[in-house]
Amino acid sequence: MARMDLISFKGLRLDGRRANELRQIRCKMGVFSQPDGSAYLEQGNTKVLAAVYGPHEIRGSRSKALHDKALVNCQYSMATFSTGERKRRPRGDRKSQEMSMHLRQAFQAAIRVEVYPRSQIDIFVEVLQADGGNYCACVNAATLALVDAGIPMTEYVVACTASLANGDVPLVDVSNLEENSGGPNLTVAALPLSGQVALMEMSQRFHLDHLPKVVECALQGCRDIHQILDQAVRRHTEMSGSALGWGNRAQVDL
Amino acid sequence: MATCYKSIHPVKYYRDFLAKGVRPDGRDMQKFRPVSINVDSIKTAEGSAIVKIGNTVVVCGIKAELAAPKAEEPNFGYLVPNVELPPLCSPRFCPGPPSDLAQVSSNFIAETLTSSGCVDLKDLCIAPEHLAWVLHCDLICLDHDGSLWDACVIALVAALRTVKLPHVSYDVEAETTVVSPEKRNKLQVHNTPVATTFAIFDDEILLTDPTNEEESLSSGVMTIVVQGGQLCSVHKPGGSPLTESQLQECINGAMKRAEYINKLVNMTLESLGT
Repeated sequence: MARMDLISFKGLRLDGRRANELRQIRCKMGVFSQPDGSAYLEQGNTKVLAAVYGPHEIRGSRSKALHDKALVNCQYSMATFSTGERKRRPRGDRKSQEMSMHLRQAFQAAIRVEVYPRSQIDIFVEVLQADGGNYCACVNAATLALVDAGIPMTEYVVACTASLANGDVPLVDVSNLEENSGGPNLTVAALPLSGQVALMEMSQRFHLDHLPKVVECALQGCRDIHQILDQAVRRHTEMSGSALGWGNRAQVDL
Repeated sequence: MATCYKSIHPVKYYRDFLAKGVRPDGRDMQKFRPVSINVDSIKTAEGSAIVKIGNTVVVCGIKAELAAPKAEEPNFGYLVPNVELPPLCSPRFCPGPPSDLAQVSSNFIAETLTSSGCVDLKDLCIAPEHLAWVLHCDLICLDHDGSLWDACVIALVAALRTVKLPHVSYDVEAETTVVSPEKRNKLQVHNTPVATTFAIFDDEILLTDPTNEEESLSSGVMTIVVQGGQLCSVHKPGGSPLTESQLQECINGAMKRAEYINKLVNMTLESLGT
Protein backbone atom coordinates (compact mmCIF):
# COMPACT_ATOMS: atom_id res chain seq x y z
CA MET A 1 0.00 0.00 0.00
CA ALA A 2 1.51 3.33 -1.03
CA ARG A 3 1.83 5.59 1.97
CA MET A 4 0.74 9.21 1.54
CA ASP A 5 3.59 11.68 1.65
CA LEU A 6 3.03 13.48 4.91
CA ILE A 7 5.34 16.26 3.89
CA SER A 8 5.67 17.46 0.32
CA PHE A 9 8.82 18.38 -1.54
CA LYS A 10 8.27 22.07 -0.70
CA GLY A 11 7.92 21.30 3.01
CA LEU A 12 4.10 21.58 3.26
CA ARG A 13 1.88 19.06 5.02
CA LEU A 14 -1.51 17.74 3.93
CA ASP A 15 -3.37 20.70 5.45
CA GLY A 16 -0.87 23.32 4.28
CA ARG A 17 1.10 23.70 7.51
CA ARG A 18 4.87 23.48 7.85
CA ALA A 19 6.52 20.75 9.89
CA ASN A 20 6.81 22.84 13.06
CA GLU A 21 3.48 24.71 12.91
CA LEU A 22 0.67 24.06 15.35
CA ARG A 23 -2.99 24.07 14.32
CA GLN A 24 -5.01 27.14 15.18
CA ILE A 25 -6.01 27.15 18.87
CA ARG A 26 -9.08 29.01 20.09
CA CYS A 27 -10.14 28.82 23.68
CA LYS A 28 -12.60 30.34 26.11
CA MET A 29 -12.78 30.00 29.89
CA GLY A 30 -15.77 30.16 32.18
CA VAL A 31 -18.31 29.01 29.58
CA PHE A 32 -20.76 27.25 31.89
CA SER A 33 -22.58 28.28 35.03
CA GLN A 34 -23.01 24.96 36.87
CA PRO A 35 -19.42 23.67 37.14
CA ASP A 36 -16.86 25.41 39.36
CA GLY A 37 -14.53 25.79 36.40
CA SER A 38 -15.09 25.22 32.69
CA ALA A 39 -13.30 25.78 29.40
CA TYR A 40 -13.85 25.25 25.69
CA LEU A 41 -10.91 24.63 23.41
CA GLU A 42 -10.55 24.15 19.66
CA GLN A 43 -7.33 22.83 18.19
CA GLY A 44 -7.80 22.87 14.42
CA ASN A 45 -11.04 20.93 13.93
CA THR A 46 -10.91 19.12 17.27
CA LYS A 47 -13.43 20.68 19.68
CA VAL A 48 -13.47 19.76 23.35
CA LEU A 49 -15.14 20.97 26.53
CA ALA A 50 -13.84 20.54 30.04
CA ALA A 51 -15.70 21.01 33.33
CA VAL A 52 -14.22 20.86 36.83
CA TYR A 53 -16.19 20.30 40.02
CA GLY A 54 -14.42 20.60 43.27
CA PRO A 55 -12.91 20.27 45.64
CA HIS A 56 -15.94 18.69 47.29
CA GLU A 57 -16.74 15.85 49.62
CA ILE A 58 -16.11 12.33 48.31
CA ARG A 59 -19.21 10.90 46.64
CA GLY A 60 -19.97 7.24 46.77
CA SER A 61 -17.69 5.12 48.90
CA ARG A 62 -16.06 7.06 51.73
CA SER A 63 -13.46 4.32 51.93
CA LYS A 64 -11.75 5.77 48.87
CA ALA A 65 -10.92 8.96 50.79
CA LEU A 66 -7.19 9.62 51.18
CA HIS A 67 -6.28 11.04 54.58
CA ASP A 68 -3.63 13.42 53.26
CA LYS A 69 -4.55 14.10 49.63
CA ALA A 70 -7.48 14.95 47.40
CA LEU A 71 -8.77 12.29 45.03
CA VAL A 72 -8.59 13.31 41.36
CA ASN A 73 -11.36 11.76 39.30
CA CYS A 74 -11.41 12.15 35.50
CA GLN A 75 -13.94 11.10 32.93
CA TYR A 76 -13.24 11.22 29.21
CA SER A 77 -16.32 11.05 27.00
CA MET A 78 -16.73 11.37 23.25
CA ALA A 79 -20.03 12.50 21.81
CA THR A 80 -21.55 9.87 19.53
CA PHE A 81 -21.51 12.35 16.64
CA SER A 82 -17.90 13.40 17.18
CA THR A 83 -16.26 10.93 14.80
CA GLY A 84 -16.80 10.10 11.13
CA GLU A 85 -18.50 6.79 11.99
CA ARG A 86 -21.09 7.03 14.77
CA LYS A 87 -19.54 6.02 18.07
CA ARG A 88 -21.82 3.57 19.83
CA ARG A 89 -20.41 3.83 23.36
CA PRO A 90 -19.54 7.36 24.38
CA ARG A 91 -17.74 6.20 27.53
CA GLY A 92 -17.03 2.91 29.26
CA ASP A 93 -15.26 1.31 26.33
CA ARG A 94 -11.61 0.45 26.67
CA LYS A 95 -10.22 3.44 24.83
CA SER A 96 -12.22 5.93 26.93
CA GLN A 97 -11.23 4.21 30.16
CA GLU A 98 -7.59 4.36 29.11
CA MET A 99 -7.86 8.04 28.23
CA SER A 100 -9.57 8.79 31.56
CA MET A 101 -6.75 7.05 33.38
CA HIS A 102 -4.07 8.93 31.40
CA LEU A 103 -5.79 12.24 32.16
CA ARG A 104 -5.85 11.43 35.84
CA GLN A 105 -2.20 10.45 35.83
CA ALA A 106 -1.15 13.61 34.01
CA PHE A 107 -3.05 15.87 36.38
CA GLN A 108 -2.01 14.14 39.54
CA ALA A 109 1.51 15.27 38.67
CA ALA A 110 0.56 18.93 38.75
CA ILE A 111 -2.44 19.53 41.04
CA ARG A 112 -1.48 20.39 44.62
CA VAL A 113 -3.53 17.56 46.07
CA GLU A 114 -2.06 17.85 49.55
CA VAL A 115 -3.94 21.14 50.03
CA TYR A 116 -7.33 19.36 50.15
CA PRO A 117 -7.18 16.11 52.14
CA ARG A 118 -10.21 13.83 52.19
CA SER A 119 -11.89 15.55 49.25
CA GLN A 120 -12.47 14.93 45.57
CA ILE A 121 -11.78 16.94 42.44
CA ASP A 122 -13.78 15.89 39.34
CA ILE A 123 -12.59 16.66 35.83
CA PHE A 124 -15.09 15.89 33.05
CA VAL A 125 -14.07 16.19 29.44
CA GLU A 126 -16.43 15.94 26.47
CA VAL A 127 -15.15 15.73 22.88
CA LEU A 128 -17.65 17.31 20.48
CA GLN A 129 -15.67 16.89 17.28
CA ALA A 130 -12.63 14.63 16.98
CA ASP A 131 -9.97 15.40 14.39
CA GLY A 132 -6.75 14.03 15.84
CA GLY A 133 -4.91 15.06 19.00
CA ASN A 134 -8.00 14.39 21.14
CA TYR A 135 -6.03 13.59 24.26
CA CYS A 136 -3.91 16.74 23.91
CA ALA A 137 -6.87 19.01 23.38
CA CYS A 138 -8.51 17.42 26.45
CA VAL A 139 -5.45 18.01 28.64
CA ASN A 140 -5.17 21.63 27.48
CA ALA A 141 -8.88 22.29 28.02
CA ALA A 142 -8.78 20.63 31.45
CA THR A 143 -5.81 22.82 32.48
CA LEU A 144 -7.80 25.93 31.59
CA ALA A 145 -10.85 24.62 33.46
CA LEU A 146 -8.73 23.92 36.55
CA VAL A 147 -7.34 27.46 36.43
CA ASP A 148 -10.90 28.77 36.06
CA ALA A 149 -11.97 26.74 39.11
CA GLY A 150 -9.14 28.20 41.14
CA ILE A 151 -7.55 24.84 42.02
CA PRO A 152 -3.88 25.29 42.91
CA MET A 153 -1.44 23.62 40.54
CA THR A 154 2.36 23.68 40.46
CA GLU A 155 2.26 24.45 36.72
CA TYR A 156 0.12 24.26 33.62
CA VAL A 157 -0.11 20.75 32.16
CA VAL A 158 0.18 21.04 28.39
CA ALA A 159 0.09 18.19 25.90
CA CYS A 160 1.16 17.91 22.29
CA THR A 161 1.65 15.19 19.68
CA ALA A 162 4.55 14.71 17.31
CA SER A 163 5.23 12.36 14.44
CA LEU A 164 7.91 11.53 11.91
CA ALA A 165 7.39 12.08 8.18
CA ASN A 166 9.34 10.42 5.39
CA GLY A 167 11.45 8.71 8.03
CA ASP A 168 13.29 11.78 9.25
CA VAL A 169 11.29 15.06 9.45
CA PRO A 170 9.59 15.60 12.82
CA LEU A 171 6.01 16.97 12.58
CA VAL A 172 4.21 18.69 15.45
CA ASP A 173 0.47 18.51 16.29
CA VAL A 174 -0.77 15.72 14.02
CA SER A 175 -4.31 15.74 12.64
CA ASN A 176 -6.54 12.68 12.21
CA LEU A 177 -5.48 12.09 8.61
CA GLU A 178 -1.78 12.15 9.53
CA GLU A 179 -2.39 9.90 12.57
CA ASN A 180 -4.13 7.24 10.48
CA SER A 181 -1.60 7.26 7.66
CA GLY A 182 0.53 4.77 9.59
CA GLY A 183 3.41 6.91 10.81
CA PRO A 184 4.65 6.80 14.41
CA ASN A 185 2.80 9.00 16.96
CA LEU A 186 4.30 10.36 20.12
CA THR A 187 2.04 12.05 22.70
CA VAL A 188 3.67 14.06 25.46
CA ALA A 189 2.00 15.77 28.43
CA ALA A 190 4.53 18.10 30.04
CA LEU A 191 4.96 20.85 32.59
CA PRO A 192 6.54 23.33 30.17
CA LEU A 193 8.35 25.80 32.44
CA SER A 194 10.24 23.20 34.42
CA GLY A 195 10.67 21.01 31.33
CA GLN A 196 9.32 17.92 33.12
CA VAL A 197 7.36 15.24 31.34
CA ALA A 198 4.23 13.99 33.11
CA LEU A 199 3.13 11.44 30.53
CA MET A 200 4.58 10.07 27.32
CA GLU A 201 2.97 7.59 25.00
CA MET A 202 4.17 6.25 21.68
CA SER A 203 2.76 4.06 18.93
CA GLN A 204 4.29 2.44 15.84
CA ARG A 205 8.07 2.33 15.73
CA PHE A 206 11.00 4.37 14.57
CA HIS A 207 14.73 4.22 15.00
CA LEU A 208 16.17 5.23 18.38
CA ASP A 209 18.38 7.85 16.67
CA HIS A 210 15.29 9.86 15.79
CA LEU A 211 13.85 9.82 19.34
CA PRO A 212 15.54 12.94 20.75
CA LYS A 213 14.41 15.18 17.89
CA VAL A 214 10.81 13.95 17.95
CA VAL A 215 10.63 14.42 21.74
CA GLU A 216 12.19 17.88 21.42
CA CYS A 217 9.64 18.70 18.71
CA ALA A 218 6.77 17.68 20.99
CA LEU A 219 8.22 19.60 23.95
CA GLN A 220 8.63 22.73 21.83
CA GLY A 221 5.01 22.30 20.77
CA CYS A 222 4.06 22.13 24.46
CA ARG A 223 5.96 25.34 25.19
CA ASP A 224 4.23 27.14 22.31
CA ILE A 225 0.81 25.94 23.43
CA HIS A 226 1.66 27.02 26.99
CA GLN A 227 2.17 30.58 25.77
CA ILE A 228 -1.19 30.57 24.01
CA LEU A 229 -3.00 29.17 27.07
CA ASP A 230 -1.26 31.61 29.38
CA GLN A 231 -2.35 34.56 27.25
CA ALA A 232 -5.92 33.26 27.30
CA VAL A 233 -5.85 33.01 31.10
CA ARG A 234 -4.50 36.54 31.46
CA ARG A 235 -7.10 37.92 29.05
CA HIS A 236 -9.89 36.18 30.94
CA THR A 237 -8.61 37.39 34.30
CA GLU A 238 -8.32 40.96 33.04
CA MET A 239 -11.87 40.91 31.73
CA SER A 240 -13.47 39.40 34.79
CA GLY A 241 -11.28 41.37 37.17
CA SER A 242 -11.99 44.73 35.56
CA ALA A 243 -15.71 43.93 35.53
CA LEU A 244 -15.54 43.50 39.30
CA GLY A 245 -13.38 46.58 39.82
CA TRP A 246 -10.25 44.61 40.76
CA GLY A 247 -11.31 44.63 44.42
CA ASN A 248 -10.99 48.46 44.50
CA ARG A 249 -7.33 48.64 43.60
CA ALA A 250 -6.29 51.50 41.34
CA GLN A 251 -4.09 49.62 38.92
CA VAL A 252 -2.68 46.14 38.65
CA ASP A 253 0.28 45.20 36.51
CA LEU A 254 -0.06 41.68 35.15
CA MET B 1 -25.88 38.78 53.63
CA ALA B 2 -28.34 38.01 50.86
CA THR B 3 -26.42 34.87 49.91
CA CYS B 4 -26.56 33.63 53.53
CA TYR B 5 -30.31 34.19 53.62
CA LYS B 6 -30.61 32.41 50.28
CA SER B 7 -28.80 29.28 51.50
CA ILE B 8 -30.58 29.11 54.87
CA HIS B 9 -34.14 29.63 53.71
CA PRO B 10 -34.35 29.54 49.91
CA VAL B 11 -38.13 29.28 49.72
CA LYS B 12 -38.69 32.38 51.86
CA TYR B 13 -36.02 34.20 49.82
CA TYR B 14 -38.04 33.46 46.68
CA ARG B 15 -41.35 34.36 48.29
CA ASP B 16 -40.04 37.79 49.27
CA PHE B 17 -39.08 38.47 45.65
CA LEU B 18 -42.31 37.13 44.21
CA ALA B 19 -44.34 39.27 46.61
CA LYS B 20 -42.91 42.29 44.76
CA GLY B 21 -43.79 40.71 41.40
CA VAL B 22 -40.24 40.00 40.26
CA ARG B 23 -37.83 37.01 40.29
CA PRO B 24 -34.26 37.12 41.68
CA ASP B 25 -32.77 37.26 38.18
CA GLY B 26 -34.80 40.37 37.41
CA ARG B 27 -37.48 38.83 35.21
CA ASP B 28 -41.18 39.09 35.92
CA MET B 29 -43.26 35.94 36.13
CA GLN B 30 -44.11 35.64 32.44
CA LYS B 31 -40.80 36.65 30.92
CA PHE B 32 -38.67 34.14 29.02
CA ARG B 33 -34.89 34.05 29.04
CA PRO B 34 -33.01 35.03 25.88
CA VAL B 35 -32.47 32.20 23.40
CA SER B 36 -29.47 31.86 21.10
CA ILE B 37 -29.08 29.20 18.40
CA ASN B 38 -26.06 28.13 16.40
CA VAL B 39 -26.35 25.56 13.62
CA ASP B 40 -24.08 23.33 11.58
CA SER B 41 -20.94 23.83 13.65
CA ILE B 42 -20.05 20.14 14.09
CA LYS B 43 -18.72 18.95 10.77
CA THR B 44 -18.50 15.24 11.65
CA ALA B 45 -22.29 15.12 12.12
CA GLU B 46 -24.80 15.26 9.26
CA GLY B 47 -26.75 17.95 11.09
CA SER B 48 -26.03 19.79 14.32
CA ALA B 49 -27.33 22.63 16.47
CA ILE B 50 -26.36 24.24 19.76
CA VAL B 51 -29.09 26.03 21.74
CA LYS B 52 -28.63 28.28 24.76
CA ILE B 53 -31.64 29.33 26.86
CA GLY B 54 -30.24 31.61 29.56
CA ASN B 55 -27.51 29.37 31.02
CA THR B 56 -28.93 26.05 29.81
CA VAL B 57 -26.91 24.69 26.88
CA VAL B 58 -27.91 21.67 24.78
CA VAL B 59 -26.05 20.40 21.73
CA CYS B 60 -27.75 18.12 19.19
CA GLY B 61 -25.84 16.02 16.67
CA ILE B 62 -27.52 13.89 14.00
CA LYS B 63 -25.73 10.96 12.40
CA ALA B 64 -27.29 9.03 9.53
CA GLU B 65 -26.78 5.31 8.99
CA LEU B 66 -28.20 2.80 6.53
CA ALA B 67 -30.16 -0.20 7.79
CA ALA B 68 -32.92 -2.60 6.82
CA PRO B 69 -36.39 -1.35 7.78
CA LYS B 70 -38.45 -3.17 10.41
CA ALA B 71 -40.41 -6.14 9.07
CA GLU B 72 -43.79 -4.74 10.18
CA GLU B 73 -43.09 -1.27 8.69
CA PRO B 74 -41.24 -1.92 5.44
CA ASN B 75 -41.81 1.58 4.02
CA PHE B 76 -40.47 3.57 6.93
CA GLY B 77 -37.01 4.58 8.11
CA TYR B 78 -36.39 5.39 11.75
CA LEU B 79 -35.48 8.29 14.00
CA VAL B 80 -33.67 7.32 17.20
CA PRO B 81 -33.46 10.17 19.70
CA ASN B 82 -31.29 9.94 22.79
CA VAL B 83 -30.83 12.48 25.56
CA GLU B 84 -27.64 12.39 27.60
CA LEU B 85 -27.20 14.20 30.88
CA PRO B 86 -23.48 13.85 31.58
CA PRO B 87 -22.08 14.68 35.01
CA LEU B 88 -20.48 17.80 33.57
CA CYS B 89 -23.82 19.52 33.19
CA SER B 90 -24.81 19.60 36.84
CA PRO B 91 -23.47 18.45 40.22
CA ARG B 92 -26.53 16.27 40.78
CA PHE B 93 -25.62 13.79 38.03
CA CYS B 94 -23.02 11.13 38.84
CA PRO B 95 -20.98 9.14 36.34
CA GLY B 96 -22.64 5.83 35.52
CA PRO B 97 -25.63 4.48 33.59
CA PRO B 98 -28.24 6.97 32.28
CA SER B 99 -30.20 8.56 35.14
CA ASP B 100 -34.02 8.44 35.38
CA LEU B 101 -34.27 11.99 34.12
CA ALA B 102 -32.19 11.14 31.03
CA GLN B 103 -34.39 8.17 30.18
CA VAL B 104 -37.63 10.11 30.73
CA SER B 105 -36.27 12.94 28.57
CA SER B 106 -35.34 10.53 25.76
CA ASN B 107 -38.84 9.12 25.88
CA PHE B 108 -40.39 12.58 25.87
CA ILE B 109 -38.38 13.58 22.80
CA ALA B 110 -39.31 10.36 21.00
CA GLU B 111 -43.01 10.95 21.71
CA THR B 112 -42.77 14.59 20.61
CA LEU B 113 -41.22 13.49 17.32
CA THR B 114 -43.93 10.95 16.57
CA SER B 115 -46.90 13.03 17.74
CA SER B 116 -45.83 16.19 15.91
CA GLY B 117 -44.98 14.32 12.71
CA CYS B 118 -42.12 16.70 12.02
CA VAL B 119 -40.29 14.20 9.87
CA ASP B 120 -42.25 11.85 7.63
CA LEU B 121 -40.60 8.48 8.10
CA LYS B 122 -41.54 7.52 4.52
CA ASP B 123 -39.02 10.14 3.34
CA LEU B 124 -36.30 8.12 5.04
CA CYS B 125 -37.05 4.96 3.08
CA ILE B 126 -34.78 4.23 0.11
CA ALA B 127 -35.92 0.80 -1.05
CA PRO B 128 -38.99 -0.69 0.69
CA GLU B 129 -38.19 -3.84 2.69
CA HIS B 130 -34.47 -3.54 1.91
CA LEU B 131 -32.87 -0.23 2.78
CA ALA B 132 -33.76 2.83 4.82
CA TRP B 133 -32.06 5.69 6.65
CA VAL B 134 -31.72 5.60 10.42
CA LEU B 135 -31.19 9.05 11.94
CA HIS B 136 -29.56 8.91 15.36
CA CYS B 137 -30.36 12.18 17.12
CA ASP B 138 -28.09 12.60 20.13
CA LEU B 139 -28.82 15.47 22.47
CA ILE B 140 -26.17 16.25 25.06
CA CYS B 141 -26.92 18.74 27.81
CA LEU B 142 -23.77 20.71 28.59
CA ASP B 143 -25.17 22.96 31.30
CA HIS B 144 -28.46 22.33 33.13
CA ASP B 145 -30.08 25.50 34.35
CA GLY B 146 -33.77 24.66 33.94
CA SER B 147 -36.07 24.31 30.90
CA LEU B 148 -34.09 21.33 29.65
CA TRP B 149 -36.85 19.99 27.44
CA ASP B 150 -37.41 23.36 25.76
CA ALA B 151 -33.77 23.52 24.73
CA CYS B 152 -33.77 19.87 23.60
CA VAL B 153 -36.78 20.29 21.30
CA ILE B 154 -35.44 23.50 19.75
CA ALA B 155 -32.00 21.95 19.21
CA LEU B 156 -33.50 18.83 17.67
CA VAL B 157 -35.72 20.70 15.22
CA ALA B 158 -32.94 23.12 14.23
CA ALA B 159 -30.51 20.23 13.69
CA LEU B 160 -33.05 18.25 11.63
CA ARG B 161 -33.51 21.25 9.38
CA THR B 162 -29.80 21.34 8.60
CA VAL B 163 -29.47 17.62 7.78
CA LYS B 164 -28.37 16.88 4.24
CA LEU B 165 -28.53 13.21 3.30
CA PRO B 166 -26.35 11.87 0.46
CA HIS B 167 -28.08 10.35 -2.51
CA VAL B 168 -28.30 6.53 -2.30
CA SER B 169 -29.29 4.13 -5.06
CA TYR B 170 -30.05 0.51 -4.32
CA ASP B 171 -30.15 -2.26 -6.88
CA VAL B 172 -32.68 -4.83 -5.66
CA GLU B 173 -31.54 -7.78 -7.80
CA ALA B 174 -27.83 -7.37 -7.22
CA GLU B 175 -28.32 -6.15 -3.61
CA THR B 176 -25.70 -3.44 -4.10
CA THR B 177 -25.80 0.00 -2.58
CA VAL B 178 -24.21 3.04 -4.20
CA VAL B 179 -23.77 6.12 -2.05
CA SER B 180 -22.87 9.42 -3.72
CA PRO B 181 -21.73 11.78 -0.98
CA GLU B 182 -21.48 14.83 -3.27
CA LYS B 183 -25.16 14.85 -4.25
CA ARG B 184 -26.98 15.84 -1.12
CA ASN B 185 -30.70 16.29 -0.52
CA LYS B 186 -32.06 18.33 2.34
CA LEU B 187 -34.27 16.46 4.78
CA GLN B 188 -37.93 17.54 4.58
CA VAL B 189 -39.09 18.82 7.97
CA HIS B 190 -42.86 19.27 7.86
CA ASN B 191 -43.62 20.61 11.31
CA THR B 192 -41.65 22.45 13.95
CA PRO B 193 -42.81 21.70 17.50
CA VAL B 194 -41.78 24.05 20.33
CA ALA B 195 -41.82 23.10 24.02
CA THR B 196 -42.34 25.52 26.90
CA THR B 197 -41.82 24.71 30.57
CA PHE B 198 -43.69 26.28 33.47
CA ALA B 199 -43.12 25.87 37.19
CA ILE B 200 -45.80 26.13 39.89
CA PHE B 201 -44.51 27.82 43.01
CA ASP B 202 -46.28 27.55 46.37
CA ASP B 203 -49.30 25.91 44.67
CA GLU B 204 -50.46 29.14 43.06
CA ILE B 205 -47.82 31.24 41.29
CA LEU B 206 -46.95 30.27 37.70
CA LEU B 207 -43.35 30.93 36.62
CA THR B 208 -42.49 30.63 32.94
CA ASP B 209 -39.10 29.27 31.83
CA PRO B 210 -37.83 28.37 35.33
CA THR B 211 -34.12 28.15 36.16
CA ASN B 212 -32.72 25.07 37.86
CA GLU B 213 -33.13 26.62 41.34
CA GLU B 214 -36.71 27.59 40.64
CA GLU B 215 -37.51 24.09 39.38
CA SER B 216 -36.10 22.51 42.53
CA LEU B 217 -38.01 24.89 44.84
CA SER B 218 -41.31 24.69 43.01
CA SER B 219 -44.16 22.37 43.87
CA GLY B 220 -44.83 21.27 40.30
CA VAL B 221 -43.54 21.55 36.74
CA MET B 222 -45.40 21.37 33.44
CA THR B 223 -44.25 21.23 29.81
CA ILE B 224 -46.48 22.14 26.89
CA VAL B 225 -45.56 21.31 23.30
CA VAL B 226 -47.17 23.41 20.61
CA GLN B 227 -46.84 23.21 16.86
CA GLY B 228 -48.25 25.33 14.06
CA GLY B 229 -51.13 26.72 16.10
CA GLN B 230 -52.06 23.26 17.38
CA LEU B 231 -51.52 21.77 20.80
CA CYS B 232 -49.20 18.78 20.49
CA SER B 233 -48.81 17.50 24.05
CA VAL B 234 -49.09 18.53 27.70
CA HIS B 235 -46.79 16.87 30.20
CA LYS B 236 -47.69 17.49 33.83
CA PRO B 237 -46.12 14.83 36.07
CA GLY B 238 -48.03 15.25 39.33
CA GLY B 239 -47.25 18.38 41.35
CA SER B 240 -49.78 20.98 42.50
CA PRO B 241 -53.15 20.88 40.76
CA LEU B 242 -53.94 23.68 38.30
CA THR B 243 -57.26 25.32 37.47
CA GLU B 244 -58.54 25.33 33.91
CA SER B 245 -57.93 29.06 33.53
CA GLN B 246 -54.30 28.71 34.64
CA LEU B 247 -53.83 25.91 32.14
CA GLN B 248 -55.34 28.04 29.38
CA GLU B 249 -53.01 30.91 30.34
CA CYS B 250 -50.01 28.59 30.00
CA ILE B 251 -51.17 27.32 26.62
CA ASN B 252 -51.53 30.90 25.35
CA GLY B 253 -48.04 31.72 26.63
CA ALA B 254 -46.67 28.64 24.89
CA MET B 255 -48.33 29.62 21.58
CA LYS B 256 -46.77 33.10 21.63
CA ARG B 257 -43.37 31.67 22.43
CA ALA B 258 -43.64 29.15 19.60
CA GLU B 259 -44.06 31.98 17.09
CA TYR B 260 -40.98 33.76 18.45
CA ILE B 261 -38.85 30.60 18.46
CA ASN B 262 -39.88 29.64 14.92
CA LYS B 263 -38.92 33.10 13.68
CA LEU B 264 -35.55 32.79 15.44
CA VAL B 265 -34.86 29.36 13.95
CA ASN B 266 -35.82 30.57 10.46
CA MET B 267 -33.51 33.57 10.79
CA THR B 268 -30.62 31.35 11.93
CA LEU B 269 -31.10 28.95 9.02
CA GLU B 270 -31.33 31.80 6.52
CA SER B 271 -28.08 33.30 7.78
CA LEU B 272 -26.47 29.90 7.18
CA GLY B 273 -27.29 30.36 3.53
CA THR B 274 -29.22 27.12 3.09
